[in-house]
Amino acid sequence: MRSTRRQISATGRLVGVLTALALLGLAACREPLEPPIGAAHPGETTPRRGGKLRLASIGDLRGALDPATSAEALGRGAIEIMFAGLVDYDEAAHVVPDLASRWELSDDGLSYRFFLREGARFHDGEEVTADDVRRSIERALHPSTPNPWASLYDMIAGYDEYTQKGAAHLAGVVVEGRYVVSIHLHDKDARFLPVLALPTLRPVCKSAGERYSDSWAPCGAGPFRLEAGGWDHGRSLTLVRHEGYFRPGLPYLDAVQWTYGMNMMTERFKLEAGDLDIVRDISQADVVRFQTDQRWNPLSVFEPVRSIYGESMNTEMPPFDNVEVRRAVAAAINREHYREVRPSAVTISNQAIPPAVPGYDPTFRGQEYDYPAALEHMRKAGYPYDPATGRGGYPGEITYYAYRPGLQEYTAQLLQQDLAKIGLQLTIKLVSFPTFVALAYRRKTTQISNPGWTEDYPDPSDFFDPLFDSSAINEDQSQNSAFYRNPRLDEILARARHELDETRRFALYGEANRIVCDDAPWAFTHNYRFYIVHQGYVRDYRAHPVWPENVGKTWLDRAADAVSSTSPGAAASWASLTGALSRPSGRRASH
Amino acid sequence: MIRLLARRLAWAVFVIWAVTSIAFVVNNVLPSDPARMIAGPQARPGDVARIRKQLGLEQPLGQQYGSFLRRLVHTGPTTVAPDDKEHANCATFGPIHLDLGRSYQQRRPVVVVLGERLPRTLWLAAAAMLAQVLLGVATGVFAAVRRNTVWDHLAVGGSLLGISAPTFLLGLGLQFLFAHELRWLPLDGYGLTFADHAVCVVLPALTLGIFGAAFYTRLVRDEMIGLMKRDYVRTARAKGLPEWKVITRHALRNALMPLVTVIGLDLGALVGGAIVTETLFRWPGIGALSVTALLDRDGPVIMGTVLLTSTAIVLSNVAVDLMYAALDPRVRK
Amino acid sequence: MLDVRARKRFLKNRGAVVGAALVVLLVLFAIFGPLVATHDPLQSDFQYGITGDLTPSGPNARFLFGADRLYRDEFVRLAFGARLSLFIALFATLIASVLGAVVGIVSGYYEGTDGIRLPWASLGSFGGALVLLVLGHVRPAEAALCLGLGLLAITALVPSLPVVVRRGPRLNLDTALMRVVDIGLAFPFLLLVMAIGAALDRTTATTILVTLGLTGWLGAARVMRAKTLQVRNLDFVAAARALGQSTPSILLRHILPNVAGPLIVIATISVAQMVVAEAVLSYLGVGMSPPTPTWGHMLFEGQDYYLAAPWLLIAPGAAILLAVFGFNLLGEGLRDALDPQTD
Repeated sequence: MRSTRRQISATGRLVGVLTALALLGLAACREPLEPPIGAAHPGETTPRRGGKLRLASIGDLRGALDPATSAEALGRGAIEIMFAGLVDYDEAAHVVPDLASRWELSDDGLSYRFFLREGARFHDGEEVTADDVRRSIERALHPSTPNPWASLYDMIAGYDEYTQKGAAHLAGVVVEGRYVVSIHLHDKDARFLPVLALPTLRPVCKSAGERYSDSWAPCGAGPFRLEAGGWDHGRSLTLVRHEGYFRPGLPYLDAVQWTYGMNMMTERFKLEAGDLDIVRDISQADVVRFQTDQRWNPLSVFEPVRSIYGESMNTEMPPFDNVEVRRAVAAAINREHYREVRPSAVTISNQAIPPAVPGYDPTFRGQEYDYPAALEHMRKAGYPYDPATGRGGYPGEITYYAYRPGLQEYTAQLLQQDLAKIGLQLTIKLVSFPTFVALAYRRKTTQISNPGWTEDYPDPSDFFDPLFDSSAINEDQSQNSAFYRNPRLDEILARARHELDETRRFALYGEANRIVCDDAPWAFTHNYRFYIVHQGYVRDYRAHPVWPENVGKTWLDRAADAVSSTSPGAAASWASLTGALSRPSGRRASH
Repeated sequence: MIRLLARRLAWAVFVIWAVTSIAFVVNNVLPSDPARMIAGPQARPGDVARIRKQLGLEQPLGQQYGSFLRRLVHTGPTTVAPDDKEHANCATFGPIHLDLGRSYQQRRPVVVVLGERLPRTLWLAAAAMLAQVLLGVATGVFAAVRRNTVWDHLAVGGSLLGISAPTFLLGLGLQFLFAHELRWLPLDGYGLTFADHAVCVVLPALTLGIFGAAFYTRLVRDEMIGLMKRDYVRTARAKGLPEWKVITRHALRNALMPLVTVIGLDLGALVGGAIVTETLFRWPGIGALSVTALLDRDGPVIMGTVLLTSTAIVLSNVAVDLMYAALDPRVRK
Repeated sequence: MLDVRARKRFLKNRGAVVGAALVVLLVLFAIFGPLVATHDPLQSDFQYGITGDLTPSGPNARFLFGADRLYRDEFVRLAFGARLSLFIALFATLIASVLGAVVGIVSGYYEGTDGIRLPWASLGSFGGALVLLVLGHVRPAEAALCLGLGLLAITALVPSLPVVVRRGPRLNLDTALMRVVDIGLAFPFLLLVMAIGAALDRTTATTILVTLGLTGWLGAARVMRAKTLQVRNLDFVAAARALGQSTPSILLRHILPNVAGPLIVIATISVAQMVVAEAVLSYLGVGMSPPTPTWGHMLFEGQDYYLAAPWLLIAPGAAILLAVFGFNLLGEGLRDALDPQTD
């Protein structure tokens, strides 16, 4: 390299050009949103049939589309519309009839008798009978099935015999007629209906057989079905209308299509161009834009909040074996700052139940930020801290495990700052998610971390039982990551499980909430909520407290000549390429 | 020559076996639990334990390793019946079967998953190689021919920048400029039709290729400059051959020889080495698969990708060594 | 290190001078940047660091490079990041260069020599151990492995054993070391880094630089071996051997000084690669733990905000680019100064 002045200046010129391009890019940053494409018949409210609804997702659907084994959140929307169950949730998270037209509860509260609709058909044309219900339940709960949710159903009579002792059938499920099936429980259990509404036990076609097989083509009784070749692994999933769906007239849509592995920015571009109809993965800046844009605001909504996050403090390891230290932490966290990490998605939480779960009490105060009180708690704990001199506090080392991806690595840094102000020194260790789960659930390993919990089924028991009941404590799989043991709480939670009267039950959970907030095994910090935006021609889309994409009753009202493409990828890219060639800005002229 | 080939191949097999075995051990001592990753963080402990037993993860390490090796390559029927459980996960090459097990997460044979992803990575590797070679050789020749002019300095300076820019910075920059601002190209992904694939491969190929192109530019330029002064080139010029013929027929052909060996090594590295680029551009290839498999603790897939990428790298090394031996009589002993 | 002529060539080379200047600037920034800063790199400023619509504030009088996504001073973090990046890169390069030089020189010197014999008996034992393991007999496999190792050790240490026991293929130090290099190059980097991160309980700057050093020596070893092959056939080396000098003495006194030049060049360019490697590790989440500011972390954190707050990407990105560019130029300059080609 014979370098002379000229070479350096040439390089400098190159750098200059690149910088200019970058600045040009920056200048063009603040472009406004494209206007939404409106409904073709805005005045009409009668749903129209037809059209394919297109959605996308950042993630990739990896598991199988089998209701008995599905564990990932991503496939939930698809499974919900492929498989109809005896019961389902309405938009207030209450259990309502679905395949069963009604049910009866026996006087002793131990037996539920379900009356199936007559003439409901599976995707393969066969009628749904009580025997199919029994077969599907036994298939899902059989010990050879990799079912991650089987133990949610341990209240069914004969569960232990069937799952562990090799009984041929599940004694608690009894077929009483072609359309009548009874399920018997060990004891009165208020959790039964909420867990029954989950996809796990939903009826599957006879092609699924009696036992699980991972090469089964999904087939159920829901409003949409999967055709052969409809699932292109890692790329897209297309479901088409099940013409024999038991609700007449439904579904309105011809098909629903998910595209996987799409960048958030691409999703937004495609939504604006009309190549996607509903979008759920939106960046922080874009949420603000959609919210403040008067045209898009009515078309978007925050999903009900169904998750809680909190700093889980291991009550078996110092210093968190001292209740005053835990109370100090709960009072020292400035939750407003947590919210500012991602203001669009984070809401402040101060109790164990999130807003979308029945039993949530918005008036309950729970844990709150109170710095003087925090200092007082530290003094009572025996580690007084003087903020003026910085002396005192807990002398030992406290390790905090944070994981990526997610907001935890950022809230961890804020927590570190907040706890330094009361004399607790945190050292953050960043690990990958699988390592985190292994460490957080292992005894005597993690002093403090923020594992979070999302609703599995909409009931307070789903939050209290695995997180704070001492029966959930385990050597290395303890979801009670605080290893919290309170006999009084255990007793209240046990009573609440068997209490069928809703008012009394929620009063019990209110008491449980008070205990947990006061004893502070967790310092509740925040919830996370998703923002959904859809185009103007998408009608009757309502966010659901349990299902991420609630498209069973949605319909499309689109003008025939609006921009649409059957293969969004090619058309969009060629369109943008040719657009770029003809117009200097490369954007649509309608802007 | 044959003895050399045999020896190198034997060592290649040893290296691949060693890498795979070490990876097996390392993978098994990582803290975490594939059963937990399959069931999700919210599944109750009893269910996780049942899934773990179903996966056969309770066996001691030595036995798991033994089963892994035993299953890996074996003989069997040339066509596998659909209900044949024993050979359900095998890829068949005549009577020889390759069995990498079943993915914990996807519940499909690993050979099927790899088979889906490998063509995409090869497509990206080929596109990147094309970009590298075209860009690198063209710039290198141009710079050599226009020595010490402003073009030469621009090329050399640019190539130094190209070598300096880290892949992911470059990728982010290209993505920002061409996909987000100018919207000429898609942000990321693979697309659904062949036209989509062609458009989507441009940015990741450029990202991968710029480093190589910068390298090749300097290589070709240095070689060409050296060669163009040699006697036979001067003779050719004196004979009255047009300049472009001098360049292509005499200088370029010899300049390409060291290039060929570097290309060979690069190709091996590109298969499975493009992790950052594939992740950034969501290119569903082997690199992206290895990252997700690692994060899912999906053992069979991890082993499958390690086997595949180490084989590619080792074989390309062997090929390059053999080429050296074949072309350069001094090296052949 | 640089004799007078080399020094003159270096100074005449504008590129080299620019590279050296960039490196010096970087070092100065790393040393003095944190000293002149007014903010704590780990403290969020919720008063001035945040704008009305709850985004980090941009570059202004108070925050020279703006605020990051947790509302901390980006400039200060960049300066502390410079310290860390340089520290890690320099010492990782030291480890990698020393290790690479040792392995490369030894390997090159012993290339083509006879080496030791691998007796068929021990090879058979190893093979048998593998077969036993595959069949599921773990304990017998371990026994066979130990037997094979024992036989190998005996034949290696006791050369006077009869040939019939020692019969087998030869393995010299060069082949063995180069196979280790092959294994290292073919091994997936990510898996290794995650494993090291999981095994070591704490990720400090020291563990990072040791990890990088232990994975970075492979390329240097190869090049050092090639250079050693060139040098060892020179006259004075043959003369030294004829005079009966011991091998370590030959390696240190004759070979090493002649390959020192290329080694220094490799090392300088390696520093650039280590800066990037550290950034990649942080970016992937297996580097230093937050809230320690490293350029890689800052790059990762800036990604989400690159539309609303592009300076969060540009600042660490430009820093990395300039650092790498500077070290590359410097390395190139050193190479041209030490080994001029006639033009």
